[in-house]
Amino acid sequence: MARIMIVDDALFMRQMLSKILIGEGHEICAEAFNAKEAVEKYKASKPDLVTMDIVMPMMEELDGIGAVKEIIKFDPQARILLISAMSQQPIVVEAIRLGAKDFLSKPVNPERLKETVRNILANP
Amino acid sequence: MQDSYREIFLSESQEYLKNISNCLVKLENKPDDLGSLNEIFRCTHTLKGMSATMGFEKIAQLSHLMEDLLDELRSQKKAVTSNIIDSLLSSTDILEQLIQDVRLKQDSNIDISSYLESLKKFLSEEAVPPEEKITLSDIDGIGLNETEQNRFKQAREKGLNVFKLKILIARNCAMKEARAFLLLTHLKRMGEVIQSVPGLEDLKREQQMEQPFISAIFSTKEDREAVRRGLLNLSEIEEVIIAAAEIPPLEAKAKPQPQEPSAYIKKIQSMRIPVQRLDRIMNLMGELTIAKIQLVEMVQSLKFAPLDEISTTLARLTSTLQDEIMQTRLLPASYILDAFNRVVRDLSKKKNKEVDLEIIGSEIELDRIVLDEIGDPMVHLLRNAIDHGIETPQERIAGGKNPRGKISITVSRQKGQIYIEVADDGKGIDVSGVRRIALERGLLTELEAANLDEKKLLELITLPGFSTAKEVSDVSGRGVGLDVVKIKIESLGGRVDFETKPRAGTRFLLTLPLTLAIIKAMLVRVQREMLAIPLMSIRETIKLRPEEIKRVQNFEVVKVRDEVIPILRMDRELGIARNAAGEEHTNELIPLVIIEYEKKALGLVVNKIVGEQDIVVKPLPSFVKRTKGIAGATILGDGRVALILDIMSLR
Repeated sequence: MARIMIVDDALFMRQMLSKILIGEGHEICAEAFNAKEAVEKYKASKPDLVTMDIVMPMMEELDGIGAVKEIIKFDPQARILLISAMSQQPIVVEAIRLGAKDFLSKPVNPERLKETVRNILANP
Repeated sequence: MQDSYREIFLSESQEYLKNISNCLVKLENKPDDLGSLNEIFRCTHTLKGMSATMGFEKIAQLSHLMEDLLDELRSQKKAVTSNIIDSLLSSTDILEQLIQDVRLKQDSNIDISSYLESLKKFLSEEAVPPEEKITLSDIDGIGLNETEQNRFKQAREKGLNVFKLKILIARNCAMKEARAFLLLTHLKRMGEVIQSVPGLEDLKREQQMEQPFISAIFSTKEDREAVRRGLLNLSEIEEVIIAAAEIPPLEAKAKPQPQEPSAYIKKIQSMRIPVQRLDRIMNLMGELTIAKIQLVEMVQSLKFAPLDEISTTLARLTSTLQDEIMQTRLLPASYILDAFNRVVRDLSKKKNKEVDLEIIGSEIELDRIVLDEIGDPMVHLLRNAIDHGIETPQERIAGGKNPRGKISITVSRQKGQIYIEVADDGKGIDVSGVRRIALERGLLTELEAANLDEKKLLELITLPGFSTAKEVSDVSGRGVGLDVVKIKIESLGGRVDFETKPRAGTRFLLTLPLTLAIIKAMLVRVQREMLAIPLMSIRETIKLRPEEIKRVQNFEVVKVRDEVIPILRMDRELGIARNAAGEEHTNELIPLVIIEYEKKALGLVVNKIVGEQDIVVKPLPSFVKRTKGIAGATILGDGRVALILDIMSLR
């Protein structure tokens, strides 16, 4: 189906997300655990979709928002699905403004994840 | 029952009934007219209260039920239907008859049971599911201003479709505002959002949504079905209602009509909480912060990823909570400033001077404790200004000034600090007078007086026991002077600066911390002691090679980007014993914390920079209070005590 990259600083989250997405028949083409790596790996593997934890430790001046900005700059068509805690609403709004396609709030509900990924992939 | 009351009851209830009927009719035509609904509710509620007081049982009973039903409509538990309106209207008619009976002083034999039943039936009905409730009528309330109208017309001329949309966001959506933002962003890609409630800007400003839906007027080249499908493809959308839009009438204000709250029953917007309780919450918050730091430190050392996630969330939530609690401690400056108009008026009258007071920034919020404490110092500054600063009208006219003097208080907030400026346009501080008095009082010797520059001389006025007034005046000379102001402000962690110009006036600037309880600090280690340096006074931290430290006369200095900065070795300064000589690093880089105080930079040599942290300031007990260099103490995550550096005492 689709090639998906997972960005999350927590191994636990990365494993959970990939399990759900692989179950849907997707391929996890890359995983990144900080913003800097996310940008680099995006450029290298050009995935169809990225799930991205918006709050990550700062890495060389780059945080989650910075990564969204960089990825969209590199690929204006990038499909970024934000994953965020509820109290992060202002950051989520900012990321949407930059071009993120959709968001999910933590704790991630597997059904909602599948549905959202389907929706994003359905849109050009 | 006394007749006078009956008369009042009759005339008033008549008024209310008239109002109720009118508004019910309006409501029927426009079911989302909250203003009318509130008005009906208010009238019914009052009527119920009055009739119960007067002992008119039937009126009270009926209006009570009406009120219950209206309340459900108001809280949107039930939708306004014409059946409900009918029932309410007929109940109103019966109320009118009942009141008529009261007027005629006859026992009423009207049977109200069928009306009560009818109302009860509506009350017991299941709540209307939300899907049925959303109608496009809300969009009709959207007004367009002139530009938006033009955009609407242009879109039509270009042959675009213009739709009114109503998009209901899923009930369990966690971030409704972000969802709405995403929806509007999505719409913008498909066409032009001519107007929406809420607007993109509202959402960007983190404004909360009042209702779980977006209403919009939207122009696009897509057809209705494509728009609908596009929107339903987004997640967490419950329903999309879409219809062709007509050009709505021009409205002055593109806002839904203001929903006037009932004048009698207001929703509780604020409540009183005893200060002690706030203090207790604040204290607990402090303890929680410490516990959080402990946890975070522990988790970091464990390197256990899933726990990491939770502790990061916990850390973030605690700091958000801390900010919120901090907010509860804040009060607008007007709390004390408003009283000053009276103070200035009274004082200037006493001194036969004419003074205007101008207050700027009274809406700025300060810590309650700071507010409590600065009242007296501020009054003192005002007294000084009126007593010594502002001249009499005659003197002012002679000096070519407006006979009315002016004092202005300006409050502003920058970078976690509050600035309060008290400025007068009086005669300024007489420097030669200061010199003379200082000599008289033995505050300095002839030699010192000759050598001091003007600025240093002026600083003498903040010394204890200094007062330039020739005699103790009723207004300002009470044996306490500016020294008291200075001590008070500094005890709050602030400082006092002033400048004066002969014939032009004097300006005092009080700098105060926004809050006293929790500050951000840089933790450093000096030998074996932990020291916290308030972050707001730190300019930067750097590392030095030992040979970069140069000696100029008796001072050690370093050159940082062409600026020569004096440095202090903190162990020496605070009298902390050095470790065995072996530990003295000879070739290692030396950490240097550069602080800034009164626009002067100062470098502090420490042994190690530990990191940044929120610290809860615990005041020192009085017997160690005046220790040089130390402003207080804090407890670190691991339970150790760190001393908080007092920047002001370092020179």
